[in-house]
Parts: sequence; C-alpha cells; structure tokens
Amino acid sequence: MASPWVRIGWRNLGRNRRRTILTAGGLAVGYCGVVVLAGLTDGMVGEMLRNGTGVLSGQIQIHAPDYLPERDMHRTIGGRDGTELSRLLERADAQPGVAAAAPRVYAGGLVSTGGATIGATLIGIDPTREARTTLLLGSLREGRVPRDGANEILLGSEMARTLDAQLGDEIVVVAPAADGSLGNDLFTVSGIYHSGIGDLDVSTALLPIGTLQRLLALDPGRIHEVVVRVPDPWAAPGIADALQTAITDPSVAVQPWTTFRPEMADYARLAQSSFWLVLVIVFTMAIFGVANTLLMATFERRFEIALLRALGAGPGGLVRAIVAEALALGVIATGIGALVGLVLITWWHHKPPDLSVFFGGFSMMGSYIRPVLRTEYPWPMFGWAAIALILTAVLAALYPAYRAIRTPAAETLAGR
Amino acid sequence: MLPRAPSRLLVLTASLAVAAPPAQAQPSARDIVDRVDQLLRGRSSQGRVTMEIVTADWSRSLDMEIWSLGTEYALVRVLAPRKDAGTATLKAGNDLWNYLPRVDRTIKLPPSLMSAAWMGSHFTNDDLVKESRLIEDYDISIGFSGDRDGVAVWEFVLTPKPEAAVVWGRIEEQIRQADDMPVWARYYDERGALARSIAFSDFRRMGGRLVPARMTVEPADKPGESTVLQYQELAFDVGLEPSFFSLQRLQRGER
Repeated sequence: MASPWVRIGWRNLGRNRRRTILTAGGLAVGYCGVVVLAGLTDGMVGEMLRNGTGVLSGQIQIHAPDYLPERDMHRTIGGRDGTELSRLLERADAQPGVAAAAPRVYAGGLVSTGGATIGATLIGIDPTREARTTLLLGSLREGRVPRDGANEILLGSEMARTLDAQLGDEIVVVAPAADGSLGNDLFTVSGIYHSGIGDLDVSTALLPIGTLQRLLALDPGRIHEVVVRVPDPWAAPGIADALQTAITDPSVAVQPWTTFRPEMADYARLAQSSFWLVLVIVFTMAIFGVANTLLMATFERRFEIALLRALGAGPGGLVRAIVAEALALGVIATGIGALVGLVLITWWHHKPPDLSVFFGGFSMMGSYIRPVLRTEYPWPMFGWAAIALILTAVLAALYPAYRAIRTPAAETLAGR
Repeated sequence: MLPRAPSRLLVLTASLAVAAPPAQAQPSARDIVDRVDQLLRGRSSQGRVTMEIVTADWSRSLDMEIWSLGTEYALVRVLAPRKDAGTATLKAGNDLWNYLPRVDRTIKLPPSLMSAAWMGSHFTNDDLVKESRLIEDYDISIGFSGDRDGVAVWEFVLTPKPEAAVVWGRIEEQIRQADDMPVWARYYDERGALARSIAFSDFRRMGGRLVPARMTVEPADKPGESTVLQYQELAFDVGLEPSFFSLQRLQRGER
C-alpha cells in the first residue's frame, strides 16, 4: 500500500481532469515527437548507409595496401604475382558476420559507339558473387547481367543515353593495359542499369572480371579489390579487424567503410547525436509547462495545504505528495507517448510515407536517398526519452513543492 | 575515388618541321623562343619516330610513322610492336579519330581528352597538338645570357599572360646562341614546383634542317620514369594535301 501522501498526490491528478489530460497530453506529444524523430533519423541514416555502402562499396574492402587512393592499375592484391583468389574469397566468406564477398578489377578507359566516345570507369565483376554482395546488379533496368567470360558489357543509364547505345549494340572499349599496350575489344551491350548515383550512371561500365583482365593484360589472379558484405554496417569495423588478423598477410589491407567513407560515418554519428539536442530542447520546454500546471494546482489548494500544515503535516509529506503527483503525470504521459509513438513508428516502418510526389530522390555523399520516410525502431531512445520525461516532471515539481511548504498556515487560513 | 578515365591515347600530330626564318642580326627574346617553338612544326612533314617509354611498371618501345600538314592535320600510325601495329590517330581540325586494327573500328575522341598523356608516354597530347604559339600565351624575358659549361646560351623565362588558358605556371628554356637549338625546357606548375623537364639532344640535319632528333621527357614527380622520342627519318615540305588526312587513309594504312 502506497503511503497516504503518494495517494493524495495521485488523487490530486483527478481533481482537475481536464488540466491533467492537457498537461499529460503535452508531455506525451513531446515524448512521441522525440522517439518518432529518432526513428526517422535512424531510418534516414540507415538508408544512407545501406545505399552508400550497399550499392557499390560494400561494408568492407580488401586491397593491396598502396592501392587507395590512386587506384593504380598495377597495385593488385598480392603484387605482380597476384593472389590465390579462391582462397582469399573463401577466407572472407568464412569470417563470422560476413554475408558474401566479391572480387573486382578497376580500370579507366574509353567506351565508344564509333561516333560518340566517352571516358569511363570500367569495373570487372564476378556476376554471381557480385549479385550476392552488393545492390549494384539489382539496379539493372533493362537487359541482363553480362555472362562470365563473354564480351558483354553493362552500361550506366546516363552513359547509354550519351552514347545513344541500345541493348544488343556493339561498342568498342579501349583501355591502357598493364603492359603499356592499348587494350581494345568489341563488346555487346547486354544491359543498362540505373543506380541513381550520378558517378555510376554517367561514367561506369561493368563487364565480366575475366574479360576485363584479358583486355588489361592482367593475369586471372590479379585483382584490385574484394568487396565484402556485412549486414550490420556498424559491426563492420570489428569484423574487418578480425578478417585482417585471419588473413595474416601483411600485403593485404582490410578496411571497413568507416575508414574508406569516413564522411559517411561522421554524418551518421552527427545525425544520431543530434537526437540529444532535440531531447534536451523538448523536455526543457516541458519543464516550464509542468511547473506552471503544478504551481496553479498548489495555489488552488493553498487552504488545504495550510490546513494540513496547521494540523501538523511536515514539509516532507507535502513535497512527497506533489512529487508523486508529478511522477504519476510523467508515467501516464510516457505510457501514452510510447504507445502513440510505437504505433506511428510501426506504421511508418511497414508503410513509409512516400514523399516522391513532392520531390524526387537525391544523392547525398554518393549515396542515393529515396524520398521515403521509413522509420526504424529507436529502442534506446524510448528508454532515454522516458527517463528524460519523468526527470522533467520531478524537476518541474520541485518549485511548486517549495512554494507549498512555504505556505504560511495562519495567514492563509485567516484569509489574509 | 574511382580510376580516372583514359590516361593514355593515341594522339599525335605535328612533327618536327622546321620553318626557321632567316636569322636576323638582333633577334629579340620573343623571336628566338618563337623560332624554337616553330622548330617543332611546319608546312608539311613526314617522319619515322621511335618512342622509348620507361615507367615504374613497364617499359616499351614504339615505332611510328607521322605525317603532318600545318597545325591542322596530322596522322600517326604505329608500326611496331606487333600488338599495337596499325593503330592510328588522325587529327583534322578540331576532330580526333583513333583507328583500332584489332577490332577494325574507328572511334572519334572527345576534345576533353586532348590534355591526356600521349600513348602512355610522358608527353601530353597538348605537346604534340599545339593549337597556338607559345608567344601568344606567354610573356618572355631573358633570365640569363652567357656561358654555361663553355657554351653560349640564353635562358628564357616564360610567364603566362593573365588571360591565357595554359596549364603551366612558368616555363624556363635554355637555347644555344650559336645555332638556336634548344637544350632543355623546364615546366613548372602553378605553385611554382617543377613538374617535368625536357632535354633536347642529338642535334643533326634531317630533311635539310638542323633539329634536335632526340627529346627526353622526365616527370618530376616520378623519378626513374622517362620517355625518349627519337626521330629516325624526317622530311619536310613533302607536298601533302588536306585530302590526304582522311578517315579512309586512317583505316587503310597506306601512304
């Protein structure tokens, strides 16, 4: 059984229900706003990370240590002799936390239909592994993925438009080869992709890794990159460290996306830390609202409080009653806010509001962001916001409680 | 960052054509620099060139035949090694084409690629496809005049004119006083750091004119790398017409 003071506090909430509901409602809206905003930001950051790392770069990359940032064609994994590719891929696949891995070869070259020629980044891919590792091939708009070993090429949508190339067209690819000669060959356009990422769509062509190696006079064991997919982006740094240790070869550098895309990691952390600012602003505002309500309530009850004082009630009891009132208000508000917030977040998680009627997708830091407000569940924020709300209510009760215990009993009862 | 698009192309035009005006009694710095500049082009020319390229990752030697007419037309065909033989580049006006014998296709090159390196060498296309004279883009002053290692030379400093669209921040050039032959040229970037140097040597008469038959380019940022361009044969005023520089000629590989 709760102490009589706590019961008095709880019952006081019922004395002016309208006021209680309005105050609790205000707090609940604040709570709900904070968690939904956190959910939206988590969703947006998640989308950015998923696209930013998922489309092309993967969450972990393996290179020769001196390959980045110049991407010199000669700096293949394992040096001039290349590497035992199947073993490296198996090693990556076997690492706990790794979902898939795919090898790549990069080159700069020209892609031409004869009349139109553009400078392009050529990426050699293993179509089967690539499809399991990144979303790159998922952005195929027409045609199909190039077949392993065939002289087939996949063009970015803007690139195809510039070249006026259609499916099945024959195009020339020219690239400086590793031996100094000018690699050149004919390719058939097997497909056109549209990733929404400018750099890719405008100037990147994909071809089977073996075909590109032949064009570049590179041996089959010579590759530039292994892209690794880790489903949880935030686990990538730890897994990269473990993989680096497991590979034991100092001529292989394993890096998580937080290293090769530091700006994205910074942005994600910044976005998440901005919740705290929102939290502080919302509940600081709430403190004044709740304090005002409780001040009113204690002022209305000043005769009652004076009577209690005259009958010998100590200040501790009065403070307890008022704090209990505020606490109860806070708990009710948290309950309502959490319920409404959870409903909204669940709804927007499964059926995100699509704002593409108002504006199109955009790229941020090389990552395509859809104008879709898909929320994630910000579980820790539910807890933090609840703590903040209840703390707010209790803090707001302190001044009214102080005023209450300072009520001069005799004067108040005398009506002076 | 993804690899940059083409670092290397088959682009070459103007050859070493000498259209040296008669020596004047008191030539100005501007006249001398212009004369040396003009040494590398001319009315029409035909030549055979060997290019030795040494990079950190590979070395190779290319034999090429070159035809040129003024600054407007040029045709270059690779004769050896076999892997690249028949590969040819045509410049006609502002258009550039590349013929690739392996796939028997001709592709037109975008003008943006003019600033790329030439054939994997340390020459840029701009070195060979000069659209304007040095004296039009640079102010020229004499930095030194006198003996260097017992040879009387001038050293000129070329500073870009304010409105000139050029890549270099400064060029220095040493020219022998006796015969107006260039000895070296040093190219500095906009921050004043040496970017590359070209040494001229093997001065001899070819096609009836004195020319530096050998040019060695060394990039300052890649020690140990170099490109040597050696003229084997060179003839001037060979009576080429603009119609010579056709797409048919580019593909057929005949003279």
